[in-house]
Amino acid sequence: MARNEELVNAILKGDRNNVQTIMQKAIEQKQDVVQLLDGSMIPAMREIGERFSRNEVYVPEMLIAARAMQAGLTLIEPILAQSNHKSLGKIAVGTVKGDLHDIGKNLVAIMLKGAGYEVLDLGTNCSVDKYAEAVNAGVQIVMCSALLTTTMTYMEEVVKHFKDTPEVKVVIGGAPVTQKYADSIGAHAYGRDANEAVKIVENIIGASA
Amino acid sequence: MQNLDLKSRVQHTYEKGERLVVPLVGMPGLKMIGSTIKLGQQNYRIHAEALQALIEHFAPDIVFPLMDLSVEANAIGRYTLFPIDDTATVPHVAFHLDHVDMLPKIDISADTRALGYAKVIELLRHSTDDTVFRAAYVTGPYTLAALILGAQEAAQSIILEPQGLHALTEYCNGIIKDYTQLLIEAGAQIICVLEPSASMLGPDHFLDFSGNYVKELADLCSQKGIATVYHICGNTMHLIENMVKSGVNGLSLDSPSSGMDLLKVMQQVPENVLVMGNLNPVGKIHNGSPEEVQAEVLEVLKSVDSYPNFILSTGCDLPKNTPEKNIHAFMHAGRNYRIANN
Repeated sequence: MARNEELVNAILKGDRNNVQTIMQKAIEQKQDVVQLLDGSMIPAMREIGERFSRNEVYVPEMLIAARAMQAGLTLIEPILAQSNHKSLGKIAVGTVKGDLHDIGKNLVAIMLKGAGYEVLDLGTNCSVDKYAEAVNAGVQIVMCSALLTTTMTYMEEVVKHFKDTPEVKVVIGGAPVTQKYADSIGAHAYGRDANEAVKIVENIIGASA
Repeated sequence: MQNLDLKSRVQHTYEKGERLVVPLVGMPGLKMIGSTIKLGQQNYRIHAEALQALIEHFAPDIVFPLMDLSVEANAIGRYTLFPIDDTATVPHVAFHLDHVDMLPKIDISADTRALGYAKVIELLRHSTDDTVFRAAYVTGPYTLAALILGAQEAAQSIILEPQGLHALTEYCNGIIKDYTQLLIEAGAQIICVLEPSASMLGPDHFLDFSGNYVKELADLCSQKGIATVYHICGNTMHLIENMVKSGVNGLSLDSPSSGMDLLKVMQQVPENVLVMGNLNPVGKIHNGSPEEVQAEVLEVLKSVDSYPNFILSTGCDLPKNTPEKNIHAFMHAGRNYRIANN
């Protein structure tokens, strides 16, 4: 698949204006935007995610890359909707009840969108009911985020709520959350960062396909 | 010089075969007196009563107040929520860096809640003896800027609008310095800078938008003989060197579950910088038995046994419902470790 290096670099640098210019030009020239998405935009977000995992970049760099990616996605979304480009799955992301922090959750959301998933962003302060509504709307994976040690305990409530519906997978993450904690509350998986969150989703969707 | 007193005390205690033991334990104090977090954060007498109860029950070597990241933001006029039994929060309200000049020039010594936190220190000064150091919290400059601007917007502005963000952070640091003065005049002997939002930054941005500003606070405190401690939640392994560069007297660090490696930190930090940490606040001390707490404390202390500049503490504020018996186990294990091992 052809890779547009200029587009990849613009996303890696978080150069939103340049991403918009490249994508606008591509649309006007009737280029294959699905190929641009799959061959350049998604690999660029994967690359920034990998750099983040290796501590080569940090949250600010990730955020502006995601912002640039979003700007490109917004331009091509109408075209994607009209084409045969189908979402790989429907995922809900939300920060748990009592917690208003959303950076981590937002990063996961944009990385998932960039990877081709339909994301239902539930926002912050999400109760079990809110996650349940998302499941009723067709979500296959519920992703819970928390920044505070005092709020992460609510994740257990979410896991308990879905324990009798094994087709719904609860994935958790956030600064104070660990694999050990995920195991202790019976969560399906724990994602260390946004990059890993995407890999977990790919594994779950891949296993159920 | 009081900061030298703290360092001397840490050294002296170590030579005796003991450690200073300092749980971050404000919230459980409110439970002990049957009050709520909202009342504790809004009523200085209730707050002081809770801390007094903690001192009487657990005899910590340093008493820390309720951790509250909303004091300065609230004083500036940012909308603040006070849940009945959870800590106050500052929800995100739209703000643009073009409007920094329009932020109010406030006199924080005329703000009821800021004065209340100073009053707590003043009451403790009268009710406690010299065996207990009185600490006070201030919000870190980058964290306060992030509370005003929004955490995500602040992180993005580091790259997209650094000048504007510096203007906001400088404004914030002015407020924090005034608040620090107020707390010192009230009798605070240690100023602990809470800077959780900065854990998301890389080392260079951290120094630029937090460390260099905190250095101004550390210098101000140092001139008055007051010790400063940098407290950042989360994994700060990549920031230790630049935290030290800020000139603070101590670092208060999160638990191993967040990715912290205490031994590596001790190896990296100069001897004249104190390190506080780092029992998991929502681990065994919250949901385990006293025996499990003791084992966890011993593990932490054993790992840093040869370092005099260590103070046993919790990685962050303990939740309100932390069992009293577990806090006792923490204190007991911390007090007796080296005696038992010598």
